[in-house]
Amino acid sequence: MFDWIKKIHMYAGLLTFTALTVWGITGIHAVSLPPPGGYSPPEVSSAREVPYTAAGNLDDPALAKQIFESIEVPLAGGHYNIHRDDDLNLAFFVFTYNGRRDVTYLEQEGIVQISHRKNAIWSFLSSMHASHSRRGPKALPARMWAFYNEFSLWAFTFMTFSGVYLWAATRPRLRWAQLSLGVTLALSIVLWLATR
Amino acid sequence: MFQLMRNIHLALGLLFVVMVAVFAVSSLAITYRTWLPQTPVDGEKTVQIETALAETPRALARTLMQKEDLKGDLRNIEESPESVKFRIFRPGTQVDVEWERSSGQTTLKTRRWGALQMMVQLHTNHGFWHDFMPANLWAGFSLLASVGLLLMGASGIYLWFAHHSERLIGGVLLAVGLIYGLTTLILTRLT
Repeated sequence: MFDWIKKIHMYAGLLTFTALTVWGITGIHAVSLPPPGGYSPPEVSSAREVPYTAAGNLDDPALAKQIFESIEVPLAGGHYNIHRDDDLNLAFFVFTYNGRRDVTYLEQEGIVQISHRKNAIWSFLSSMHASHSRRGPKALPARMWAFYNEFSLWAFTFMTFSGVYLWAATRPRLRWAQLSLGVTLALSIVLWLATR
Repeated sequence: MFQLMRNIHLALGLLFVVMVAVFAVSSLAITYRTWLPQTPVDGEKTVQIETALAETPRALARTLMQKEDLKGDLRNIEESPESVKFRIFRPGTQVDVEWERSSGQTTLKTRRWGALQMMVQLHTNHGFWHDFMPANLWAGFSLLASVGLLLMGASGIYLWFAHHSERLIGGVLLAVGLIYGLTTLILTRLT
């Protein structure tokens, strides 16, 4: 039993090493994220225009949905903040793992402007770390990552608890180890109660 | 050297076991949200706050924190000629406040989540900008656990490599994970 758990612990860690590294990086990067309302998008990195003629009987949300579906932004995760800009053009943005697209429909010219604000690699990894089998873009590589990420989550959960077991089964009387666990448990309970 | 790395791996694991468990359990809760429905407990209360104690939303929030024992970060301030609205948030609990300028009547709508949802909110809690000190401490704990995760990965690789009989199977698994993970990541980035 012990030998098998030790083997699976080790194999799980090796197989999911890439995902665990991405999660660790994401956790460190999260410290630099702004507070709610403090987010400012990256600079526009590229732009393109697509001809588009709108049907005259659509309201803004319905038209935004049609434009969103027709422009086929890669890795699109949804369209948000549908509004009229200062020039009264319909505008919204499309979330993608590679950075958002700002979409503006110039109705009189019959043109959709799409500006890509490519995100930093850290933001990309942050989005990727949150994907799973039922969440994330439909593109095949992103889907494959999502399944790997979800598998890694189960492996991570197993390693968390099997790690404690492996310690308890081999060196439970190690004084500094007991102290480490005691300190972290005590601090966590105090912090939990203070937060509750 | 092997013994030192083994001890480092163990020490990191034990020091961060709580935060790592919070990450693991909350990630499962997020991933299988539909299977694990979370029902909050809602409450409502009305109190009177006089205008002198509500000159600004922050002053009003401070007054409520003192009088009603509310704790958390002040968020989502909305002011209008008739009322002031904001939220006082901490992981697991939020209070939506509406203060009517004319009467001083203040409505407090409290939403309190269970342990699982609180862990989800601790998972996404980040940064050291919080007014609510425990939220900063949790963020610090998360940061250390993230660094610890990377160090546990590195020490784990060393420990595996020191097991000569496991090098072949382990090497294949590590290679498969790296090739699969990096390929899908790179292809997604290039899409």
